[in-house]
This record gives sequence, structure tokens and C-alpha cells, in this order.
Amino acid sequence: MGERVNHTMVAAAALEPDAELMLRVKEGDAASFALLLEKHRAPVIHFVYRMVLNQAIAEELAQEVFLRVYRARSSYEPTAKFTTWLFRIAMHLALNCLRDGRSERCQESLDQDNPEALGRQVADRRPTVEQDLVYGVKLAEVRHAIQGLPEKQRAAVLMHKYEEMEYSQIARVLSCSESAVKSLLFRAYETLRGRLAHLA
Amino acid sequence: MECPVQSRENAELLLAYCARRLDPETSAVLERHMESCAACRAFGQAQQSVWSALDAWEAVPVSRDFDQRLYARIGQEEHGSFWNRVVRPWLPLNLRPALSLALASAVVVVAFLVQAPTSLELSKQAQVETVDAEQVEKALDDLDMLRQLNLVPRTEVGASQSM
Repeated sequence: MGERVNHTMVAAAALEPDAELMLRVKEGDAASFALLLEKHRAPVIHFVYRMVLNQAIAEELAQEVFLRVYRARSSYEPTAKFTTWLFRIAMHLALNCLRDGRSERCQESLDQDNPEALGRQVADRRPTVEQDLVYGVKLAEVRHAIQGLPEKQRAAVLMHKYEEMEYSQIARVLSCSESAVKSLLFRAYETLRGRLAHLA
Repeated sequence: MECPVQSRENAELLLAYCARRLDPETSAVLERHMESCAACRAFGQAQQSVWSALDAWEAVPVSRDFDQRLYARIGQEEHGSFWNRVVRPWLPLNLRPALSLALASAVVVVAFLVQAPTSLELSKQAQVETVDAEQVEKALDDLDMLRQLNLVPRTEVGASQSM
């Protein structure tokens, strides 16, 4: 049993460091889980936030993602890239949330003081009121344009643009072929070019 | 090179170029083509403006107590009840309230069945009564047989003859 785990660990180490960390979590190493959390916390929250457009729900869902990873540690096998598995859970939870209509009921309004606007206030760039307004309008348009995309296209664009994932990885997260991903992205960007052309 | 705008397969080259994910050699070939192709130039500029518009959507700051809340949930699960550790994770979120209701209903039904006499019990009682009647009949038959064997008192026989 121990030999088998060691053999798997060697294979995973050759594969990627995240898988190696996860195998250590499987062995009961809490510090490795902390490292994985530190590394992937922000990308997962940002991805889910851009899917559901609500900060509180995004964090709640991201917690569920890491909780599921922790729960599944004993049966973990490094058959795929760790982030593929992680984002597959995140996307599944985000889509369920969108289908429940939970996020629609409490979507953040751009008129409210949202965390992004707060982030800009804290930043040292000291934008003028006019710049803030322009930024707010632009942000609202981008959010609405992305929100208007079908779920799978939205997820594909977010993974491609913000997580910089390869087509093959996006395909594995979305459980479809690479050519289907290319087609999804092509149609999504075509729509976005139409909706955001005036921002050029 | 074949014009990327003319073919769907090559159009992904333009997407990759705008995402700065194209290798330098292919980028150079594409740039040379774009110099002479107005359609590709227009496509590239439109995609580039989408790309920079999307850049405006900055990441949100994460709550400071995110990890603390997560570890609290993990701790709660590890030291939680058997239900939370074993059964609850397997239940779909939308079935959880329905399952609670179903369990409550099941408890009420079981309680009712335990309290109320069943038809099975009634038929058992009827069977017991039938067995009692048979026993009495058998006892009378035995008595008759004993009489025939003259094992009953003679006085009773004599009295019956004089009558």
C-alpha cells in the first residue's frame, strides 16, 4: 500500500508540484493543504466571482470547492492536472448556483460600493472623479457583456482570458473536445466584439 | 498564408495573437499578412479592444478571514456528527430539506403502525378462537369414546336405561 502511494507520488512529482502537494495532503500533511490553498485561493474566488457576480456567494462557493478537495483527499489520484480538477469543481458549483437563481437574487449592483471600486480607492494611483466614473461605466459594460454570454461560453472566456488556461485544459474542465472549446471561444469573442466595440 | 478571417481554423490564430500566446515566428508571419489584409487588420483591432476592455475587470480582494472560516468548516466536519460526515456530503443540495421532511413523515408512519393493531394480529386471535372450539369438540369425542369403553360410571348408564 505504502509502496503504491510512493510510486504514485513519484509519478505525480514528474507531472506537477500541485499533484505532489495533494498526495501529501492525502498522507495527512496539513501544511501541504495550506500551500495549495494559498496558491489557488485567489484564482478560484475570482473565477467564481466573475461567474456569479456576487462576492459573498463567490467566497461561500470557493470555500465549498476547497472543502470538497479536502474531503476527497483520501481517494485522490493524480490522473489529471490539479487545477483542472479544482476548476471543474468550481465551475460545477458556480453553474449550479446560477441555475438555482441564488446569485441573481443578490447580484451586486454597480451603483453600490463594490469591492472593485474599493480596491481602486485604496490603490495609490489616485484617480480623479471623472476617471472613476469612466472606469465604472466601462466595468459595468464589460460585466454585462460577459453576463450576457451563455454559461459555457462565459466559463470558457473566463478561463482563457483571466486564468490563462490552454485550450486542452479548458476542454477537460468543461468536459468537451478541444475543437468545441475553440468554437465556444470564437463565438463568445465574436459576441463580445459586437457588444464592446464602442469601448475601443 | 491563408487569410485567417476566411477560415474558421485560422481565425484562432488571430485570437491567440491578440492574447499574446502565439510563438514569435507565427506572429511575424501573421503581422506581415495583416499589413496587406484589411479584413484581418480590422478583426485584430476589434479583438484587441475586447481584450483590453476585459483587462478593466480587475480581481476582487479576498476577505481576510477566508482561511479562518474554511478551517472552521473543516474542523466542524471532522468533529461533526456521523450524518454530517458520511451522509450529508452525498446528498444534492436541493434534496436536503425534502429528505428531512421524508424522514419525519416516515417516523410518524412507523409510530402509527406500532400503535394500531394490525390485521395480522386480528387473524391470529381468530385462529386461537378456532383452535379452542376444536379442542372442546375433541374433548367431547374423547368422552364419548370413554363411555363406549365403559370407563364412565355405571350409575349413569343404568339411569339412562331405566328411563
